[in-house]
Amino acid sequence: MSASRAKVNQADIPVAQQHRFKWTDVLVQLGLILWAAICLFPVYWMFTFSLKNNEEIFGANVMGLPQNWLWQNYSRALNVGNMGQYFLNSLIVTITSILFVLIAAIMATYAMTRLQWKGRKRMNSFFMLGLTIPIHAAIVPLYTTLSRAGMLNSYWALIIPYSAFSLSMGILISIGFMGDIPYDLDEAAFLDGCGVWGIFFRVIAPLMLPAVSTVGIYTFLQCWNELMFATVFISKEAYKTLPVGIQGLSGQYTTEWGPIGAALAMATIPTLIVYIFLSKQIQESFIAGAVKG
Amino acid sequence: MKRPLSYKLNIFLFLLPALVLFLSILIAPIVMSAYYSLTEWNGLGTPEFIGFQNYVELFTSKSINIMRALKNAMLLALLSVCIQLPFALLLALKLSRHVKGERWYLAIYFMPVLISSVVIGQLWTKIYNPEYGALNIFLRSVGLDSWTRIWLGDKNVAFGACLVPILWQYVGYHMLLMYAGIKGMPADLNEAAMLDGCTPAQVSWYITIPYIRPILRVSVIFAVTGSLKSFDMIYVLTNGGPNHATELPSTLMINLLFLRNRYGMGSTIAVMLIVLCFFFAMLINFAFKEEK
Amino acid sequence: MKKLVALMLTAVMLLGIASAFAEDITLNLWTIAVESDASYETFTNAIADFEAAHPGVKINHEPTQNEQYKIKIKAAMSAGTDLPDVFFTWGMGFLGEFVNAGRVLCLDEYYDAYKDELPENMTANASYDYEGGKLYGVPYTMSEVVLFANMELLASVGYDHIPTTIEEMNECCDKLLEAGITPFGVSGKELWCLSEYLEPLMIKSVGTERLIKMYNGEESWNNPDVIAAVEAFQNMVNKNYFDPNAAALGNDEVKTNFIAGKYAFYQNGSWNCGDIDASENPAKFQAGLFPVLNPDNASLYELIGGPNNTLAVTATTEHKEEAVAAAFELGRAMSDADYKKGANLPCWAPDPEAQVSDLVASVADIAAKAEGMVLFGDNFLSADQANTYLDFIGLAYAGEISPEEFAQGMDDALYNK
Repeated sequence: MSASRAKVNQADIPVAQQHRFKWTDVLVQLGLILWAAICLFPVYWMFTFSLKNNEEIFGANVMGLPQNWLWQNYSRALNVGNMGQYFLNSLIVTITSILFVLIAAIMATYAMTRLQWKGRKRMNSFFMLGLTIPIHAAIVPLYTTLSRAGMLNSYWALIIPYSAFSLSMGILISIGFMGDIPYDLDEAAFLDGCGVWGIFFRVIAPLMLPAVSTVGIYTFLQCWNELMFATVFISKEAYKTLPVGIQGLSGQYTTEWGPIGAALAMATIPTLIVYIFLSKQIQESFIAGAVKG
Repeated sequence: MKRPLSYKLNIFLFLLPALVLFLSILIAPIVMSAYYSLTEWNGLGTPEFIGFQNYVELFTSKSINIMRALKNAMLLALLSVCIQLPFALLLALKLSRHVKGERWYLAIYFMPVLISSVVIGQLWTKIYNPEYGALNIFLRSVGLDSWTRIWLGDKNVAFGACLVPILWQYVGYHMLLMYAGIKGMPADLNEAAMLDGCTPAQVSWYITIPYIRPILRVSVIFAVTGSLKSFDMIYVLTNGGPNHATELPSTLMINLLFLRNRYGMGSTIAVMLIVLCFFFAMLINFAFKEEK
Repeated sequence: MKKLVALMLTAVMLLGIASAFAEDITLNLWTIAVESDASYETFTNAIADFEAAHPGVKINHEPTQNEQYKIKIKAAMSAGTDLPDVFFTWGMGFLGEFVNAGRVLCLDEYYDAYKDELPENMTANASYDYEGGKLYGVPYTMSEVVLFANMELLASVGYDHIPTTIEEMNECCDKLLEAGITPFGVSGKELWCLSEYLEPLMIKSVGTERLIKMYNGEESWNNPDVIAAVEAFQNMVNKNYFDPNAAALGNDEVKTNFIAGKYAFYQNGSWNCGDIDASENPAKFQAGLFPVLNPDNASLYELIGGPNNTLAVTATTEHKEEAVAAAFELGRAMSDADYKKGANLPCWAPDPEAQVSDLVASVADIAAKAEGMVLFGDNFLSADQANTYLDFIGLAYAGEISPEEFAQGMDDALYNK
């Protein structure tokens, strides 16, 4: 469609104007390229200095590609910096949180959209309060409660709060998707003798798969990158997640940038790989949350 | 229609997981924070009830200086709305007009949103490093030596230096929302206007922007409440320094809680943040309704 | 059948008893000696020795990075659950808050056994008056603020010694600046590093006893001697004696720069001896003291520092005897080992045959000559006060408050409180 429209436009515009248009087009392209470069530069720089030694980073070769590719920076970040452990922790915390959010959000959405009862609208607005509540508001009580329960320094100390704070967005997204499922299906299932649970498991849940990826991606990014709770609730090496680990690591290697760069790169690569394959779905998940609200 | 009891029970069961999470992790802690904010408590021992003294101290104490933190947060919010959003809108408008490489640009512009703030913050501390950082090296190489600064250590420029990565990171997010909104427009709306002889700028101003108004509202709310809540990037870049010049309410709260052992006062800031977030969200909703 | 049941029961019981006997006691130890820290190895060795001397007792060492450790130990103390048996702490204010919360075991009844090796004057910063108890921690190393000097750089501007009067010091700094050398390295990012410069000026202007009273809130800060000290501090800033990049540098970077020869002086804790000795040419570095500001009030050997690194036992430990033994014995071993390594000065009577570097020997000599000692202000004060205090130092360094405002501010925060 874009090609045909470009043709129409060009045909309609007088020749003199076409030239002017081309100039502005070039300017626009230049502007867009410049901004793309600004967006890419820090990442490019990170990858290059993660492979350099101090000498290159600090003067000999600041911006260019590394002269000697120092892969040992990566092995140092892995071994001394414990990056592997942080990575695994982030993965465990994130995946479990996603599961929790999905289960709680889809079930609640079902109750609020498919089942008839007074106050379901109000219940929905109640959940939507969570979109505005800053995560900090809960920090002291959560902290004291977790510590009294002896749950600081465990995966649960992060999984439970993360699930709770992603829940509102999860419900918001699920409502959008569940609204697309035709009610006829419920009725058909009902006539087949399914109860509310039967309808939920046989009809609704399987059709919510697109929501699963959207909610999942959204929750993934919230949990994978979260810093405040992770800093405060976790001090044991064994449970630190990537953001906290990196923060600690950079405190240890203030004067040596290579291993830090490697650690930063290792924390970023999985996200980038996922993004390369799922860029469309990832973008959708962000749009869904905002637009469907 | 009368529903059987079991039906009600089922509703309750479906809501249960979400309700338990929501009430225990969001609602109950807020109530507890509100209570702690009325106490003096060092984290050890039992909280001592002192009424609204913390609130009085919060707004009068020079050593806490909440006003500076609020001023910084407001400045961040203002710049988000006045610079970040218009810029994002401009990008969205351009990209939605079938620019060559549209998908590529979209993907690249959105990428910073996905990268952890800690990673981005760490990268920018390196960029800002006075001796070895890319920025000062660049300035020196083009002969602008006098422009070089200790970007994160000079109280006059530190907050500005922190704002750049914060604003930069989320341009892509707002752009994506707006872009999606524009793409969601019925195609004939734009084309009809084009055929009527409107310039692209006129189409944007009179048709596109009013059409995506609901998305702009969401963007503004996210930008403002996001600024109030902002934490990660400042924590990584300066942790509120130098001399608290870049303090935000969130970093101040963490500082009071865990460096000064003032759990009561920290809770006071938490409560203030919730109130502010709700206040601004309502204000923005109201503003967007009025103009309709 | 009955017999069989009885037999089985007996067997089960025996097994239970046997396993109870075989089970090792595990003590949890929390410290700040992370792997990259100089003390990590000494802790590891000390633990191995302790375990060898006490079969059946295992120590589980859990180090945490300094800043995060503060949050972690406070969290555990505040909850009262999940506490370690033995933990690292700083003396005075830091440990004091835990003692006042009843979380720390009183060591009075155990101290006698170690009295000969751990002199009583070393226990002052771990002693409190809490419910009739006194000693609550085992200090193992002490530290003092010393002025490290790069004698090569000093020689290049014509000095063969560290200046001994304030006039000579200023003159020396001016010459260094003329020669393009930054006189002092300091981290402006880590406020405690600034206090390492201000506090020696303070004690050499007001004197030991008054400074202690000021920290205790028993005497006003608003006096000409405090103001003179802050003025001298700001004077150093204004004359560019400090690295102009200080605001962006962390202490580790500053130390690296000093060792690399970027600054003539680096005033910081005696624990840096080890790092300096580990450099390529340690012979060019000397340790000395900042000159006296007001000879009427103070002498050269009035120092900032004191016994500080301490091991304490939690009140709730399940293995009191073993934990106390671990605290004292690890303390003794650490005192010795850190001293030999140049990581700190000993609190315990040192091994008379210990071989230490010239630098460490000179620092120990300074400590031996001490005529008065005041602990680091941020350790002396409680957490809230300490942070206010550091903030004021930061503001004074940045020139945002005058010496008078500094003094007044400290009075508002501490005096009569």
